[in-house]
Amino acid sequence: MELGTAIVILFYIIIPFTPWILSLVGTLLYQPAQKNTLLEREKASAKSGDSLSTLSQPFAGKEVREFELVMSSVVMGPSWIQIAIGGILSLFGGEITTFTKVVDWARREAKQRLREQVASKGFDDVINMRIETTVMSKTKGSKDKTTGVEILVYGTAIKY
Amino acid sequence: MQPQVNLLFSNTETIPGMTITQSMGVVSGSTVRAKNVFKDIGAGLKNMVGGELKAYTQLLQESRNEALYRMLVDAQSRGANAVVNVRFATSSVSGGAAELLAYGTAVTVQ
Repeated sequence: MELGTAIVILFYIIIPFTPWILSLVGTLLYQPAQKNTLLEREKASAKSGDSLSTLSQPFAGKEVREFELVMSSVVMGPSWIQIAIGGILSLFGGEITTFTKVVDWARREAKQRLREQVASKGFDDVINMRIETTVMSKTKGSKDKTTGVEILVYGTAIKY
Repeated sequence: MQPQVNLLFSNTETIPGMTITQSMGVVSGSTVRAKNVFKDIGAGLKNMVGGELKAYTQLLQESRNEALYRMLVDAQSRGANAVVNVRFATSSVSGGAAELLAYGTAVTVQ
């Protein structure tokens, strides 16, 4: 291969598309790997039953010895590829599956972190759990393209 | 140096095992935070791949604690000894900056 062709390939194909290649690798390899880890963590803590509940009172009127307000939050963003696919899908309407996946993942991650935090502090259950979602969008006219969604999960951890 | 606050707070309607004797009204605390430019670049790069943006997670965690603290200071200045029904709200004000609000009802419990 001539040097000229190599330079053309480098400057016009490889360098401009590097972010997209990274994005594709991230979407196809990094994200599923992270989700698998999360699934294993969820399975591990599901053995003793789910500690989270949205009830405002503990089950069966059990007496509470100790309590604490606990919260966990996570910010997740879709990859560039997912944003691009989402943009195309939104032309046709219907479900934007790429975004559904990211938001669902973020919510599961936040809940799982709360479960782990509560277990490590020695609490039995969480009552009155609430989920809050905020979109961190890019500003108009700004070059900053970072987009993400913040999920906050909070509740009252109790000890019987 | 921040003064110490020693209040009970919960997002349930009552403090477990105690009775509310007096309500002191709604208290709130808020803060607007932006993270530094260098971390923003890191988040921008991570956004390419998708997944968690740790810089933002950390930023919001810290500022939410600050908002909560301010709410407790407000409650203490009213002479309350507990805050019940604590709620959180978040909004992004502009690129990279977020407003965190914590609010609840200040009460005295026995």
